[in-house]
Amino acid sequence: MFDRDIWQEIFHSIKNNKLRTFLTGFSVGWGIFILVMLLGSVNGMQNGFHNQFNDDATNTIFVSPGKTSKAYAGFEAERRIQFKNDDIEYIKKSFGGDFEQISGRMRRGTTARYKSETGTYQVQAVHPDFQVIEKTIIMDGRFINTNDLLSSSKVAVIGRKVAEDLFKKEDPIGKFVEFNGLPFRVIGVFTDDGDDNAERGIFAPISTYQRIYGNTENIDQIALTYNTSYDLTKALEFSRRLEDIMKRRHKISPEDQAGIFVWNYAEAFDNISSFTGLLNKGSIFVVILILIAGIVGIGNIMIFIIKERTKEIGVRKALGAEPWQIIKLVLFESIFITGLSGFIGLLFATGILAAIGPNIKTDAFADPSVSFSTVVTATVILVIAGVLAGLIPAVKAANVKPIVALSDK
Amino acid sequence: MIEIKNLHKSYKMGSNSLHVLKGINFNVEEGELVAIMGSSGSGKSTLLNILGMLDNSDSGEYNLDGVPIKDLNETKAARYRNKFLGFVFQSFNLINYKSAAENVALPLYYQKVGRKERQEKALKYLEQVGLRDWASHLPSELSGGQKQRVAIARALAAEPKVLLADEPTGALDSTTSYEVMDLIQKINDAGNTILVVTHEPDIADMCKRIVHLKDGVIVEDKKIEQVRADQYV
Ligand SMILES: Nc1ncnc2c1ncn2[C@@H]1O[C@H](COP(=O)(O)OP(=O)(O)O)[C@@H](O)[C@H]1O
Ligand SMILES: [Mg+2]
Repeated sequence: MFDRDIWQEIFHSIKNNKLRTFLTGFSVGWGIFILVMLLGSVNGMQNGFHNQFNDDATNTIFVSPGKTSKAYAGFEAERRIQFKNDDIEYIKKSFGGDFEQISGRMRRGTTARYKSETGTYQVQAVHPDFQVIEKTIIMDGRFINTNDLLSSSKVAVIGRKVAEDLFKKEDPIGKFVEFNGLPFRVIGVFTDDGDDNAERGIFAPISTYQRIYGNTENIDQIALTYNTSYDLTKALEFSRRLEDIMKRRHKISPEDQAGIFVWNYAEAFDNISSFTGLLNKGSIFVVILILIAGIVGIGNIMIFIIKERTKEIGVRKALGAEPWQIIKLVLFESIFITGLSGFIGLLFATGILAAIGPNIKTDAFADPSVSFSTVVTATVILVIAGVLAGLIPAVKAANVKPIVALSDK
Repeated sequence: MIEIKNLHKSYKMGSNSLHVLKGINFNVEEGELVAIMGSSGSGKSTLLNILGMLDNSDSGEYNLDGVPIKDLNETKAARYRNKFLGFVFQSFNLINYKSAAENVALPLYYQKVGRKERQEKALKYLEQVGLRDWASHLPSELSGGQKQRVAIARALAAEPKVLLADEPTGALDSTTSYEVMDLIQKINDAGNTILVVTHEPDIADMCKRIVHLKDGVIVEDKKIEQVRADQYV
């Protein structure tokens, strides 16, 4: 079946019919090119989304107090809810296996000064667990630990940008920096994959800030990470439970949407996953349309070619070509052309993606590559397209009656 | 070699039907050179196409070299054509992107002859028609007479039992026509059975027997004294 003669015939006919080979090949190559570029771009968008969200732990839950909107349990509406240290202790006691890290959080703006350099930054006063929750990477020194917390030390972990602004080339570790006039010792410098903005932040022990700001036990927000073995449903169920318990604890009506906000990353992530899923489905749909258009196009060209070659096919049949041999000739030719030109389109597209991929650095788009399986799928689709595109005209060609083909009229 | 009994053929044209062959009876022996004559539209090509298994008759018997030819499917017809018959057409019907030698080798390809042998045979038959030096030329580089000689070489290459030529000189001027007839006579001298369709009396006179078709029947069938073509070339 794959003897040398038929390949010789095919190459011969390709070589001597350059225009039609080009037309057929171009339509397939172009189709595959668009297909791979499209899939690569969708991949890039998907990667972009993931990068943006991966910056923080993806299993984070934030619990924030609000203002009640309903009167409940003897309290009037419009009551401001305030979390305190014992809220954290309470969650730790009540939800043992459900969470992994937990931390309180206060955010305060501050003017920081070192020698003659000053800058305005946000200080996040937190517990040691917060490092994991926000995926903070320590470049130098250390993060806040339990000792800092117990002794309410005036220590700070500053972002890379803060260190650059204030300390220039100096090593900040161990130096004292003034926050609103109070001296804090720098114990660490951190970086954050996510964005430059995060690196313009400062961490301090929450107990220190509670003491500075009125010697209270108040906290503005509770951040925690849920058990990583939880799937989406379990995670959502946990955050609902958390919300219910916290509402009960603070005597907020279960129907009150405003008293407490529980914000679960899983939910947002779920939305994004379904969005990129939709994007994927959409692109597959477009790709199918492109392929159908391509197959119809190639089929048309092949039918045109057969018309053009009717006489030749008639001659071949008069000389003793069997129908199957004619089918084979037309079919192999179309598979060969679709396969080769598709491969060229594939090479071009992957080449372009590989070339521009590393140069694109925006938040919404990253690493627009295609996977090996995409390449394999595209190739399989190609061969099928080749067969489909060649089949109808091949059968048509085989049915050409020699006398009709050879008639000079 | 060829036996035909009461052959009928009509073409359906919408609701009408055109009765082209109305009971043809004739035999051809091995080694004959037969001219089939008749005016245009008398059914000469139709008869030749049926003999060549390119078309089917409506009724009647046809035996070729003792093999009854009927109810052939496409594949079988292709095999018989390849084994028994060689065709020469008025318009040459060479494949335009193949060289002279490749055209001649094509029927051998369908006989599943090996590449080397195909090449050798193609050159041998091109030699026989005097075009050995033109083996690598494309049809577009050949004159009409040369094209027809390549076509004859191609018909011979398969070593058929019968050579069927439909107006082989119809597209040629008289000098080249005689050259082609000279070649056909020489091939016949070597023992090949040949049927030539023509409506030109001088070409018919160069055969050994003339069968005259008129209104779908044979009106005359006579052996003649062959006029040799080489005296004109
Ligand atoms: N495929 C066909 N369909 C319908 N009519 C045909 C067909 N082939 C030939 N004919 C008709 O049959 C008659 C005989 O044609 P043909 O055998 O080609 O004549 P000749 O070769 O003697 O000129 C003509 O009238 C022609 O128009
Ligand atoms: Mg005719």
